[in-house]
Amino acid sequence: MAISAATKAATDALAVNRAPTSVNAQEVHRWLQSFTWEFDKNRSKYPTKYKMANDTKEQFKLIAKEYARMESVKDERQFGSLQDVLTRVDAANKVHPKWNETMKVISNFLEVGEYNAIAATGMLWDSASAPEQKNGYLAQTLDEIRHTNQCGYVNYYFTKHGQDAAGHNDARRTRTIGPLWKGMKRVFSDGFISGDAVECSINLQLVGEACFTNPLIVAVTEWAAANGDEITPTVFLSIETDELRHMANGYQTIVSIANDEAASKYLNTDLNNAFWTQQKYFTPVLGMAFEYGSHFKVEPWVKTWNRWVYEDWGGIWIGRLGKYGVESPASLRDAKKDAYWAHHDLFLLAYALWPTGFFRLTLPTQEEMDWFEENYPGWYEHYGKILEEWKARGCEDPSSGFIPLMWFIENNHPIYIDRVSQVPFCPDLCKGASTLRVHEYNGKKHTFSDDWGERMWLTEPERYECQNMFEQYAGRELSEVIAELHGVRSDGKTLIAQPHTDKDGKMWTLDDIKALNCVFSDPVDAL
Amino acid sequence: MANYKVHDNPVRDEWTAKIGQLKTLSKGHTFLNNFRKTHTTPLRENFDLELDWGWIECKIEEKVALLKHAELDDHQFLNNCICGADAQEVADTAVAAMDACTDKYEAEKLHINFRIDCKPPVMPTNVFMDADRLLGTKLMELRNTNYYALSLEELRIERGVKVITVQ
Repeated sequence: MAISAATKAATDALAVNRAPTSVNAQEVHRWLQSFTWEFDKNRSKYPTKYKMANDTKEQFKLIAKEYARMESVKDERQFGSLQDVLTRVDAANKVHPKWNETMKVISNFLEVGEYNAIAATGMLWDSASAPEQKNGYLAQTLDEIRHTNQCGYVNYYFTKHGQDAAGHNDARRTRTIGPLWKGMKRVFSDGFISGDAVECSINLQLVGEACFTNPLIVAVTEWAAANGDEITPTVFLSIETDELRHMANGYQTIVSIANDEAASKYLNTDLNNAFWTQQKYFTPVLGMAFEYGSHFKVEPWVKTWNRWVYEDWGGIWIGRLGKYGVESPASLRDAKKDAYWAHHDLFLLAYALWPTGFFRLTLPTQEEMDWFEENYPGWYEHYGKILEEWKARGCEDPSSGFIPLMWFIENNHPIYIDRVSQVPFCPDLCKGASTLRVHEYNGKKHTFSDDWGERMWLTEPERYECQNMFEQYAGRELSEVIAELHGVRSDGKTLIAQPHTDKDGKMWTLDDIKALNCVFSDPVDAL
Repeated sequence: MANYKVHDNPVRDEWTAKIGQLKTLSKGHTFLNNFRKTHTTPLRENFDLELDWGWIECKIEEKVALLKHAELDDHQFLNNCICGADAQEVADTAVAAMDACTDKYEAEKLHINFRIDCKPPVMPTNVFMDADRLLGTKLMELRNTNYYALSLEELRIERGVKVITVQ
């Protein structure tokens, strides 16, 4: 076909001097860096003891266009799988009922963590002065918005397509009843967004993400898959693909302060406190969620913890930061003691306090009890016998008139709540490292369960003023508190929480709880 | 023992009525300041309102903010505390006192008292937030230096707690 002379001339010219059709990503990144303010003269809105360097680099150098393209592909795959394949194969109804309940806790709680991480990384953007470092934090802010939506979507999906929606939907309305929400908000909220901006980065990125997202977001997908849940791995593994950049951001936070001489005075203290804050909640709660919230087991929590927390994080990851003066936290040794028994201790308390929750707990079957004894020798003698006694007294059946909380009262085993972590503990019964210490300060009593938390409170008491449920509801009857604070299903009388997942089992109502006449009292009043 | 509901309860009703009686900025300021000293912060005079102090303080602040809006002009709103003092001068004085402070317990009191006296709506937010950042930064520096120098037993004594029990 003939072409005009003009077209030919243009084609020939382009062959010699080709018009650019794409630009090297690194070139664009460098170009974007020139569009910046004088951040070295900027000041943050947030307090920090550290001076962040002006020339800190960012390892991934993602630009907005690349970022958006990458994340949109991930979202297409994830939502496509969920809405098409997984819905057609009725995946949500194939999840084991115990695990369905566990995901009420995990996804709702992680959503809170992701939401607070939006604020935390926004704060870090404001606090940093190096353009590249700001860029890294900004990409993370966008990630955290995505993750918040993803976690919310998991619960939405289970609600819409799955079994027993109560607790997947609108779990947050129950947040003031029991102790689990408060402990979670201590790590996922206060830890990420209050205090020193760099300390928040250490909590969020160096500990929360580099240490605990492996057990939380990766291990959970193994447990989910083993228990018939294809939904959680589809979403959580997509979340995890972003976490590497977040860990790198935590690394770069440390790099940015490494040349500040003053940093050496504070850094290892902040790291130790951040690690203890995060592990105090995550170690028992994740162990309990995996082992007691599943029917099909993967590997004992203590092994997962040792591999990912103790060896990979405490040894290798922190070891790489050794050249910047970072040391493995001294509290890691005490945390290791808790990794063996603390989640079993917590299950006893969680099951005793089940009416204050927003999910259904289940006593282990004989097969599961055998697994516990095999992997935690001595488990049956201490925990198994108690659980058997509760079952024999009919704790799952409303007509029994018995909830395990009554057993604690009958046997004079008071339950306390640690002021700093908000984690409940029973010093008489626990095999973990918790020990009771109670102080009175300015006319108010405070309960603690370990040396590290007690020191944190003695140093900064105004940071830990959260009231616990015994202080809040002392003198009030249990069913009245549950009713006022929205712990019931849409019929207005059946509790969201239940002590079993048996489809044919009878469900507890407010009337059943009222008949027990359980009245809150604060155990420190007796001291 | 507070045997009443969390949200609608007689204590909140009683304080709502008291707050309703505040008709001038001067009276609102005094009321708010007294309330904060008596019922808020770890240094509070008593824990009678332990369950409801946060809600009540918010309601007093709301009322004082409305009175402030009615009584102050735009210049005063941005530059003066509600007692009429120059906000930046008040903030600078507090920051200078903190700069000179080398004792963490004194620094803690300086910071807490600054918040009792100046937290908005008493001081304009634009001035308060930056001063609060500077005070908080210095307090954290003092608290986090030689963090493990004292044993727990020594730290309890230094903090002045009464030990009820230690296992």
